[in-house]
Amino acid sequence: MTTNLVRLLECNIRNSKATVAQRTMRVFSSQQEQSSVEDDEEFRVLNLRTIKQQARRRVIKKDAVPPPRTTHMPVDQDWSAVWSGPRSFHPASVPLPLRQGYTERGAAAPSKYANAELMKIPNFLHLTPPAIRQQCEAIKKFCTPWPKGLESEATWKAIFPVEVITTDYCHSLPTIRHPEARRVTITLNLVDLKFDAHAKDKFLRLVGERYNQETGVLTFTADRCPTRKQNYDYALYLLTACYHESFVTEPWEASKSEADMEVYLFERNKAKLSAEAILNWNVNGEKQAPSATYAESVEKLINEGENEYNIAKYKEEVLKMLKIAN
Amino acid sequence: MKMFRKQFGNLSRVSTHLSRNVLAARVAYRDVEMSTNAAPAEDVTSPPAVNEFRTGVTNPGDHSDVQVGKFYTIPLEEKKQIFSGGGLTKKYEQQIKTFTEACIMVRSPALELLHYIKNADLSKPVVRYVLYGDNGVGKTLSMAHVLHYGALNDFLLVHVPWAPNWMKRPKESANSATQEGFIDLPFDAAAWLIHFKTQNSKLLERLQLKTSKEYVWSKRESTPAGASLIELVEHGIARIKYASETTAALISELKQLATAGQCKIMVAIDGYNAFFHPVTRIFSDNKQRVTPDRITLTQPFLDITNYDWTNGVCILSVDKIAMTEGYMDSYLPRYLLGKEGFEHLDPFVPVHVGNYTEKEFVSYINYYLDRNWITKTQPGFEEQLKFMSNMNPYTLMQLVRSL
Repeated sequence: MTTNLVRLLECNIRNSKATVAQRTMRVFSSQQEQSSVEDDEEFRVLNLRTIKQQARRRVIKKDAVPPPRTTHMPVDQDWSAVWSGPRSFHPASVPLPLRQGYTERGAAAPSKYANAELMKIPNFLHLTPPAIRQQCEAIKKFCTPWPKGLESEATWKAIFPVEVITTDYCHSLPTIRHPEARRVTITLNLVDLKFDAHAKDKFLRLVGERYNQETGVLTFTADRCPTRKQNYDYALYLLTACYHESFVTEPWEASKSEADMEVYLFERNKAKLSAEAILNWNVNGEKQAPSATYAESVEKLINEGENEYNIAKYKEEVLKMLKIAN
Repeated sequence: MKMFRKQFGNLSRVSTHLSRNVLAARVAYRDVEMSTNAAPAEDVTSPPAVNEFRTGVTNPGDHSDVQVGKFYTIPLEEKKQIFSGGGLTKKYEQQIKTFTEACIMVRSPALELLHYIKNADLSKPVVRYVLYGDNGVGKTLSMAHVLHYGALNDFLLVHVPWAPNWMKRPKESANSATQEGFIDLPFDAAAWLIHFKTQNSKLLERLQLKTSKEYVWSKRESTPAGASLIELVEHGIARIKYASETTAALISELKQLATAGQCKIMVAIDGYNAFFHPVTRIFSDNKQRVTPDRITLTQPFLDITNYDWTNGVCILSVDKIAMTEGYMDSYLPRYLLGKEGFEHLDPFVPVHVGNYTEKEFVSYINYYLDRNWITKTQPGFEEQLKFMSNMNPYTLMQLVRSL
């Protein structure tokens, strides 16, 4: 600004007379002198680092903490209204003198206020018996009466051997579909299916690990189709197909060798030949066959595995067969 | 009953205390004897003290349930004849040497076997008895007891003291000359022939058994048909190179002779399951472990345990220790023999050998006290030993070493 002014004044000087210029210059300089006189009155501080003036922090005014709710709670209040759903523990809402946590030996456990231990553990304060009763009453209007004739578990298990397990998910998302809801599991006991020996063996080979040897339960799980209905149909199809396929005897099944056998059979093994050879040693004519009990003891020894009982049984049968005085 | 036993035990201890003073001088004398390595024949000839844990019946054929839990003494020369090539465990041999008498306890598995053998119909195919049991329960000693019976009752003994020795630590292995891809164990075969000869030389001389056919070993060497079996054995011992083949020839001859009724044979193989172990520690030419069935010595012993001959008995023992790491999970015979071995032996008679019974345990403690092997007898030491050893014979033997 000043430089512009000076330049303007210089132009004036060139155009007009020098005296005018001198006067204006003087006026300008006299103004400067006046301001310096004003500054002299206060001692100036050299401010090398400009310190920003900090704004005063605003003090937040908090309301005074009200006394805990528990103090105003009437004794006969509706608890399910206070604690309506699952929620972490809150000390001021629970009118119980709870204590939880570890302290030094001899000291009392920490009280419920500001107690993280109580907040960590899940609580069942929303599942009090009256609350459950209340909810059951509420959903009763959607229920239908239990069918007649299916009172005991044995009856309905006999009539409906197949159990279908599906899961519904309830959640708040833009979509109400849950990918897991399409999964369908059907279970049934193997004893409910009728088999012959060959079919049972083949069926178990077909289903593989879907059969639990210990419990005897067959489980088919289907989740490859997009909807539950399709998966249910597919699981039932699998069961039906495996069952009927197991009754089909393919031509290549005749070539089953000893290594493919699922169980040890006395008839197919060397044990039978040896026993026959020993029994019919130097016998011409009528051949003697080893007894069924001996065969059974050998089969048990191999199939069930060895234990003192099976060994003792085997020994007894061998002694009987070889006619060794016991 | 318990009271009675306790009193009985006390009585016996008093008797041992009394006799100990008398024995002290003898013990000192015996120590001198042992250090000079003199034969302990004198002790044996002196009549053994009659205790409630000893029996004077030294013939195993006469043993019955009356003698269960009692010790009988094997005469020294018989012991030398039967067990000089093995047959008693190493630790037991040491104990025999220390106690200067070869005592074996009469136990029920051996009695059971003897009962079977005595009542056996020898015209029927040979019956295989399989001794089984946990480690250190006395399978080998039960077998030794039966062997003693066999030796006294004109059985030719075909005895393998510890079959796994051939698979685990053979003296030498060589490729078989006659069978392609097979391994010979010439030294072990010769050692076995010597063992066979010492066990059976008297009987062989008496029976005059002849070979049925000519065996040609090489261009110049052959054993003609009609030669005695002793000649055959001695040839094998002299010409170690042919020992394996001689063994095979001998055993096939024995089988034929027994079937023909000229002799009766007792086969006793300890650690029989070693023949069915998946591998051995022998390496073939291409540095691969050979399987037991590729050893020429295996075949004759598998052959003689087959059921296709008569006039004999087979006593086999299956043992966990005969196996190697990873195959020692159970002591039961089907597991140890495997599928193949089971099929080979089936039908066999399994005979279980178990830990000591109460009576046998007390008897053994008394025997140790009598031999001054246990000298520190604090009150209740029997109970303590019983719990510490679980009445397992081998564990008990190890425990009392330091007492």
